[in-house]
Amino acid sequence: MKKAIILGTVLGAMSLPATAQELTLWSHWADQQAKVEFVESAARAFEEANPGVTIDITWYQKEPLYAALKTALTAGQGPDIFYAETDQTEYMANGLVLDLSDKLNWDAIEPWAQDVWGWEGGVYGFPLEAWTVETYVNQAMLDEMGIDMPVSGAEGQAFVEAVSKIADAGATPMAQGVGDRPYPGAFLTHEILVKKLGADDYESLLRGDGVEWTDPRVRAGLEYAKSIIDAGAFPASFSSIKLGEAHRYFHTQPGAAMLQMGSFYPSRAFAAPDEGGEPDSFELGIVNGPIPPDAACPTCKTIAVGGSFVVNAGSDNTDLAAQFLNSMATPEMGNKWLEANLVQTGIVADPSAIEGENAAYFQKLAAANEGAEYTYGIPVQQMTGTARETFTQVINQAFPAGLIGVDEVIDMMAEAY
Amino acid sequence: MAVPKDMNVPAIKVAKVPPSGERDDHANPRSAIAMFLLPALLVYAAFTALPVARTLYNSTHLVVPNRPPEWVGFTHYIELWTDTIFWKAVWNTLTWAAVAPILEVSVATLLALALYAKVPFSRFLRVAWFTPVLMSYVVVGILWMWIYNYDWGALNTMLRAVGLGDWASPWLGHPDTALPSLIAVTTWMWTGFNMVVILAAMSSLPTEVLEAAELDNCGWFGKLWFVILPLIRPTLLNLVVLSFIGKMKIFDLVWVTTQGNPLWATETVSTYVYKRAFQWSTFDLGYPSTIAVIWFFIVMAGVLGLTLLFRQREKLEY
Amino acid sequence: MNGTRISPNGLRMAALLLFIAIYTAYAAGPFVWVAMMSLRTTTEIAADPYALPWPLHFDKFVSAWTDSNYDAYFFNSVGIVLTAVVILTVIGGMAAHCFARYRFRFKGLIYFIIFSTIIFPPQVTVIGLFQIMVDYGLYNSRIGLVLVYVSIQLPITIYILESFFARIPGDLFDAARIDGYSEWEIFWKISLPVALPAISTTVILNTILLWNEFLYAVVLITDDDKRTLPLGVLRFMGDQLEDVGMIATGLMIAIVPVVLIYVFFSERLIQGMTAGAVK
Repeated sequence: MKKAIILGTVLGAMSLPATAQELTLWSHWADQQAKVEFVESAARAFEEANPGVTIDITWYQKEPLYAALKTALTAGQGPDIFYAETDQTEYMANGLVLDLSDKLNWDAIEPWAQDVWGWEGGVYGFPLEAWTVETYVNQAMLDEMGIDMPVSGAEGQAFVEAVSKIADAGATPMAQGVGDRPYPGAFLTHEILVKKLGADDYESLLRGDGVEWTDPRVRAGLEYAKSIIDAGAFPASFSSIKLGEAHRYFHTQPGAAMLQMGSFYPSRAFAAPDEGGEPDSFELGIVNGPIPPDAACPTCKTIAVGGSFVVNAGSDNTDLAAQFLNSMATPEMGNKWLEANLVQTGIVADPSAIEGENAAYFQKLAAANEGAEYTYGIPVQQMTGTARETFTQVINQAFPAGLIGVDEVIDMMAEAY
Repeated sequence: MAVPKDMNVPAIKVAKVPPSGERDDHANPRSAIAMFLLPALLVYAAFTALPVARTLYNSTHLVVPNRPPEWVGFTHYIELWTDTIFWKAVWNTLTWAAVAPILEVSVATLLALALYAKVPFSRFLRVAWFTPVLMSYVVVGILWMWIYNYDWGALNTMLRAVGLGDWASPWLGHPDTALPSLIAVTTWMWTGFNMVVILAAMSSLPTEVLEAAELDNCGWFGKLWFVILPLIRPTLLNLVVLSFIGKMKIFDLVWVTTQGNPLWATETVSTYVYKRAFQWSTFDLGYPSTIAVIWFFIVMAGVLGLTLLFRQREKLEY
Repeated sequence: MNGTRISPNGLRMAALLLFIAIYTAYAAGPFVWVAMMSLRTTTEIAADPYALPWPLHFDKFVSAWTDSNYDAYFFNSVGIVLTAVVILTVIGGMAAHCFARYRFRFKGLIYFIIFSTIIFPPQVTVIGLFQIMVDYGLYNSRIGLVLVYVSIQLPITIYILESFFARIPGDLFDAARIDGYSEWEIFWKISLPVALPAISTTVILNTILLWNEFLYAVVLITDDDKRTLPLGVLRFMGDQLEDVGMIATGLMIAIVPVVLIYVFFSERLIQGMTAGAVK
């Protein structure tokens, strides 16, 4: 894999009195070339600007990374910088990561990033990746069936009828699969719930400190979701389809009308068709999810902070590490991220400045997010422990798969806290 | 040399009858014993004993970075008692560990017999039956997920091809079929290994005994049940115990395929331990360590039970 | 003669052959499917999962080997597993011989303690083990991984070998001792050769399990140059595109050495079996 060039270190040691410094970085995204290039190019640029410094990056898949980190940090080892996500509060709770509130250039970073990585007064993470939950639609298929799906989201019964109509025509209304992820199956349900309850009550529900799962509004939201599921929304192999496969299911084969997915959708879908991308003739639309009746907040949706970098509090090079992170917190880097990865970022960037073939996509994305009120984090990022595990089994998998009904969902979730 | 006298020795007999009757110390030289045992004991002490001791320690202490450990007593043990997910995992794992050895060893015995009886192509068959053993769980998991795939997997395709399309279902997606589907996979993986070992054991049986049985006009089945099986009983016990232990620890296969879904139908003790240790947003290993300790006793009980079940009635003569 | 005959009953024979045919399809079918897929590209597979490979894309093996650092992973795996299995066979054999042939105080207890650790789930002990490795300075080293592999397979190796050693008749040893053999010579020249079938079994088992071992490899090794094959296969399994074709190719590369070990040692196994019958 890519390793740092040591040349600078050797020269530095021979000629200058400055000592060579090495930063180690462990990250997820081993197979996401665009993100790898982004971070590696930032590293090389930083090395050039700071002779004598080398940055050594090891790329992992997410789960082995977490296992390696947990073991290393427990033993007092571990890299200087590493990948983390906002639900990993254990790092803050155990004092393992550095407070970055006075080390980073916060003007260049989105304000919600500070909320999301905030912990007892400090801010601990630098969010590179952020994504919203969107409903991607196959515009051609919808037009063919005469279904109108407004960008702000179909309301109430209209959506259920649309689903029935598509199912009756023999097509799959919503592609989705939970074969390798604990969250996509829940998109339908939790987006309905956040619209029904409003962001504050929704977050209270997930945390278990106020709103109960037995609340009648929750029940109403779940029943609305159930009516969509019962109308035949999901494919029969829902439980085993993987995230990547769900993309293909939607845009290539067998083809579906809708796909609820994070806005990281383009990272797979905009690849060449024979690498799993959309066919050239595909007409993509972006809308908001279905709005339940009597919704308290019809424009609410979820924004999730994805990959972020944190600094190891036990590192010897904390200032240097923070400097490196700062080197990425510029509008140029922000736009570079957007263009390369086609997914939102925590760095302040200007999507309207993007030109080229993806400009149209960003416009649609902006249109779908106009006036949106956000709740930060998908449920598995906002919940912990047994509640999260139960949520994964029940609302991500069993409920959309049609294995259980609304009563069981409420019972199991209520018991889990 | 005549028929070896200790052919009937049961597998775990170390703690019971000494291997060679009464001997004086000349035959148990201390230096030799030490020489033979020391390397293994060193490795064991350094790499196995310490982590295990640590696990025991963790189960009763709160151990997190940057703070001294504190004694928490038996709170985890008490919490474990009411943990429904844990008991579901125990049930699944015990079911797996009970059914799989029976399937794996009995099918393997039949296959070994077939090879022993010199059916055609036995060389090829031996290799063919053994290939599943060689694959890593990661790839086996992927492979069988493809086979069980609802839309284009081999199983459903075959069912639809013979007109049994109604039986096609999302095998790994339904709580009732998920665990049996995975049991079929582990059976596929390990039966070949058992077959090879049993075949080796059968082939090292003395021919005089078998010829004697033939002279006594034992039928095919009689020869099997009354002569061959009892003689290879130690081997069978070994294999059952190994299979039992392997299933009690099973993790990789479940993790690659279902991660315990749907609704914990395939949750095993090891996957639950992993989730608790690595996915629970805490550095405290107390709870998974507690599970490990409790599970240790349960498995030990199972192994001892199996050994007793298989034990020979007669002691051996020397 | 080594075999026996099943009584020539046509129906029984037919049932047996049917059983064999079905089982062979069940056992070998998936492997054949993967072998075919390893020579096809992912697009071809997506179009028709069960077609025969044509054209034969041998270049995929080359690209897996050179582009993805597979060669480094392969040699690391070979070195680590080979060393570990050799060490296991020798010290496991020594310990098993000791348990089988000698009596001494606490023998039962020691044996029980060693055997019982098979049962601990590695997911929990891995963290404690990791701290120990750091203390010894063996973290992120291939030698460290070798020693860990030896330690995790030691109980099963001793268990299998001990039960076989114990069945070797005591007269052999009495005779050898009278002939003036030292204890070590008894072990090396008598126990080991006679126990060759059991040793082959443990060699095969250990090789397979360690070759495919994943959890310790990912936690204890962080340098990409020191990584082993299971992690290599995982690289093709990223979530961007499940590169089915390349996974199959990677798998075939991972399987071939294990097949070779098996074939080599199973010949010994057969020799051991025939030698055993002609006593």
